[in-house]
Amino acid sequence: MSTEDKLELWVEKYRPKRLDEMINQKEVVERLKKFVREKSLPHLLFAGPPGTGKTTAALCLARELYGENWRANVLELNASDERGIQVIRERVKDYARTVALGEVPFKLIILDEADNMTSDAQQALRRMMEMYSRTARFCLIANYPSKIIEPIQSRCAIFRFQPLKKEDVLARIKHICEQEGVKITEDGLEAIWEVSGGDLRRAINTLQAAAALGDVVDEQAVYKVVGKVSPKEIRELIKLALTGNFIKARGKLRELMAYYGLSGLDILKLIHREILNPRSELGLPEEAKVELVDLAGEINFRLVEGADEEIQLSAFLAKMALLGKKYL
Amino acid sequence: MAQTLWTEKYRPRRVSEVVGNNEAKEKFIKWLKIWLSGKIPEKRGALFYGPPGCGKTTLVHAAAEEFNLEVIEMNASDVRTAKALNRIIKTSIKEKSLFGYRGKIVLLDEVDGINLREDIGALSAIESLLNETKVPVVLTANDPWDPKLKSLRGKCILIEFKPIPAYLQIRVLRKICEKEGVKVSDEVLKAIIKRNKGDLRACINDLQAIAQGKKVVTLEDIKLLGERSHQVSMFDMVRQVFFAKKCIDAKAVTLNPSFDYEMFIQYIHENLPYQYTTLEALAEAYDRLSKADMIMGRIKKTQNWSLLPYALELMTMGVSLIRSKPRLKFVKYSFPEKLKILSKSKEYREKLNAVLDTIRNKCHVSRSKANIEILPYIIVIYEANKEQGRKILKWLGISERTFREIIRMHAS
Repeated sequence: MSTEDKLELWVEKYRPKRLDEMINQKEVVERLKKFVREKSLPHLLFAGPPGTGKTTAALCLARELYGENWRANVLELNASDERGIQVIRERVKDYARTVALGEVPFKLIILDEADNMTSDAQQALRRMMEMYSRTARFCLIANYPSKIIEPIQSRCAIFRFQPLKKEDVLARIKHICEQEGVKITEDGLEAIWEVSGGDLRRAINTLQAAAALGDVVDEQAVYKVVGKVSPKEIRELIKLALTGNFIKARGKLRELMAYYGLSGLDILKLIHREILNPRSELGLPEEAKVELVDLAGEINFRLVEGADEEIQLSAFLAKMALLGKKYL
Repeated sequence: MAQTLWTEKYRPRRVSEVVGNNEAKEKFIKWLKIWLSGKIPEKRGALFYGPPGCGKTTLVHAAAEEFNLEVIEMNASDVRTAKALNRIIKTSIKEKSLFGYRGKIVLLDEVDGINLREDIGALSAIESLLNETKVPVVLTANDPWDPKLKSLRGKCILIEFKPIPAYLQIRVLRKICEKEGVKVSDEVLKAIIKRNKGDLRACINDLQAIAQGKKVVTLEDIKLLGERSHQVSMFDMVRQVFFAKKCIDAKAVTLNPSFDYEMFIQYIHENLPYQYTTLEALAEAYDRLSKADMIMGRIKKTQNWSLLPYALELMTMGVSLIRSKPRLKFVKYSFPEKLKILSKSKEYREKLNAVLDTIRNKCHVSRSKANIEILPYIIVIYEANKEQGRKILKWLGISERTFREIIRMHAS
């Protein structure tokens, strides 16, 4: 693709194009290269934490298998977006009906965030994997392999992506800095590692944003980015709830859903991240953090089971208010 | 003759015969006279609202008779598909002007009874009727603030009807008794009026039920009348639940014919923090509401409707009967803010989702990840360095204007 050299977001610009360019994940890469040489492939299950190269590996594999024509032979789906198995089934059916172009006898269907599918949907997926096994291979991508039902696991070659090591992440960051002519300090590198939590996507995005803020990427610039990218409303929401200001907290919640387009689960995830953020300005006692995490877990379950996200999160805020009274 | 309903038989034939609600009558006639003079008023619809039996429909019929208009009537609770409505619309739009003709008036009764799911298109059909009609259109509703009527409200003059005061009602009832030749004491009439809380139609029906064919009616006869279940407004139901002292009283609202659990749970959710002012009570009640919602979710997923009673009980008596119940004060309840915000932000959210989808396609992530892990970084870059930001937007295919709107909405 000729447009690829004009990629403006560094996460995409520096996304490896070939399996050999991938950092770490040596064993995974070796096994995948063997599949490429033999032009034969089982169904795949890539499992591992976010930002460790699962999607990249799947795209590299596709490029090396199909060459220039890879886009014609690959269907990318995201289980979090394609609402319901019905949509996935339709799209896969349409897609797998025709034969692959080129010398590889099958097409590749990449299904990202597969662990977000209900077990019913996964059962349907299992049947699809059997039905189209002559014309298509599935590459399922998940954070937690245990959330994939066993019959699917047993049909897949499982690849575990290891958490990235600090030196690997920092080497990549330094490489990008050299290429882009960005000056970065030692404490800047340390800070990027800390806020990334081992997620290379977040590390690179943080770097690009910090580089846009000034001439030098240092610790201060990195934390400035962190402060800007997570909606300040989340912190305000938590503060309001903990100080017993329920009605205002609920108002913030409504804003976040309406104007940030965040789902209930997104908001819960961000609250969870903020509670455990060691640099949080909330000043929560450690015991309170544990209780809040316990509550968040319960509400996460209810959000998935329930019908109305706002009611569930309001229940969470009401309990937070009670907790705040106890600790603050 | 004995079979005719007294409510029909003694229906007012002229506007002046309609009892009570003088302000409403004046406002309506003033508006109607603009039509009668051959002009089209600024608002082509009139929305009559108020409790049942206070004369909304009666006024339309009386005026029609007095001014020689043909009433095209459609009750929202019978056939109310868009198709049936469209037929009415066609005839009413064809009508040129009322002047010099025997004109028409359209009456759409009980528009708040429209079921959003079953009567798809009905509301938008009414909306376009209100935009284009060449004849007066009257809508009636008990609860005009029902969110689904929002788009209609703006196109109508609002005319409020209040329950008819007892002294006026008793006059009407006495007159009927006189004409029917039955002796009914004022004591009995007052008892009838009292049990019907301002609903004159219900009073006349009750009177007919106990007095027809009799010479004398006593208080004993009233006991034969069954309890009429009143159409209670959402706010009354919310109040009944919060103030209930027994499970059975709280749950009773679910037996109401107009009870709609999906709306009800939103009203309870909205008003909980205003009614329960201690954090303990709030948390306890919200936990029950959260459980009710969880059951609703399971019903939606599994179609297991046998779970419904538990959800209804949790959202009524579950919210009401809590251990830490505070002393309750009188609170003026509000309409669910959530519904307002959602409809206000709908257009914006569609734009945001379109932006997230372009990011999703370029960066191989889900919409949610695009929103949390990528969009905020692009915003930081754009705000710090416009030139670089514009390049990114161009590459993604996002217009700068849309992008700035997102930033603006985040900031507000």
